[in-house]
Amino acid sequence: MTEFKPLTYEALTVGEEFVSDAYLVTPEDVDTYAFAVDDHHPWFFGPSPFGGPVAHPTLVANQALRLRHSRYVVHAGLHAKMQFEFLEPIRAGMRVRSRGRVVDKYERRGKQYMVTEFVTEDDAGTTLVRGQFTQMLIPA
Amino acid sequence: MAIAHDIAVGQELPPLEKDLTQRHIDAYSGVRTRSIHTDEAWARRKGFRTTLAQGMMSTAYVSEMMTRLLGAGFIKGGAMSVAFVKPVYAGDRLTVRGVVKEVREKDGTRVVVEVWCENQHRQKTAVGSASGLLA
Repeated sequence: MTEFKPLTYEALTVGEEFVSDAYLVTPEDVDTYAFAVDDHHPWFFGPSPFGGPVAHPTLVANQALRLRHSRYVVHAGLHAKMQFEFLEPIRAGMRVRSRGRVVDKYERRGKQYMVTEFVTEDDAGTTLVRGQFTQMLIPA
Repeated sequence: MAIAHDIAVGQELPPLEKDLTQRHIDAYSGVRTRSIHTDEAWARRKGFRTTLAQGMMSTAYVSEMMTRLLGAGFIKGGAMSVAFVKPVYAGDRLTVRGVVKEVREKDGTRVVVEVWCENQHRQKTAVGSASGLLA
């Protein structure tokens, strides 16, 4: 059973690792995402150069961004930086999981930040997306 | 969908315009209480004038612009590095822009684009670069 604690700069440890639950990407997710970002590219819904529909490359990015929610109660945070490498297309029907590791935390101009490296994999262990993001911690 | 093959350094990409309604933000983030994205009272309590779009939405817009440029070479082989420099609020209109900075020959042809988003006041909200492979 997971015990959640409030996310504070002090509680956070560099080297700490997070793992998301596995998540089944559905056609409805692809459709909802297309609406949310107002991008209805035909490859999301029909044939593509990859042999069938593919999802928007950033479709599951929030799974990585929310990794810290798997262990902490996050009162609020701001996303400061994002890096992606898109290695393989994401498709509906995949079951994807993100893993992350806190690689840095620092204070700058009175603000506190955490830096997380992540990979998102399918259920065969193929890396689909990898990258790194920086989040600002907003105190409760 | 047509993919541009005559790409030149200095070339400006066709801009994208995005109206960020609360409905779009809700669909993106999932409606939750105590969220600066979907709970206006909570956003105000945290010092913002209203709810904020997720920064990640801007990466999706950059992704759209790059996929229009490079097609499959962005979906498999694309990369992006973006800093979110100003909040984007519900009701803002963003314009997503890009200029080709480099065409690099190494293990294929990689096109590097300087990208940024600006709001309706011409203030930059996200800045960075994105790249992908030319088919």
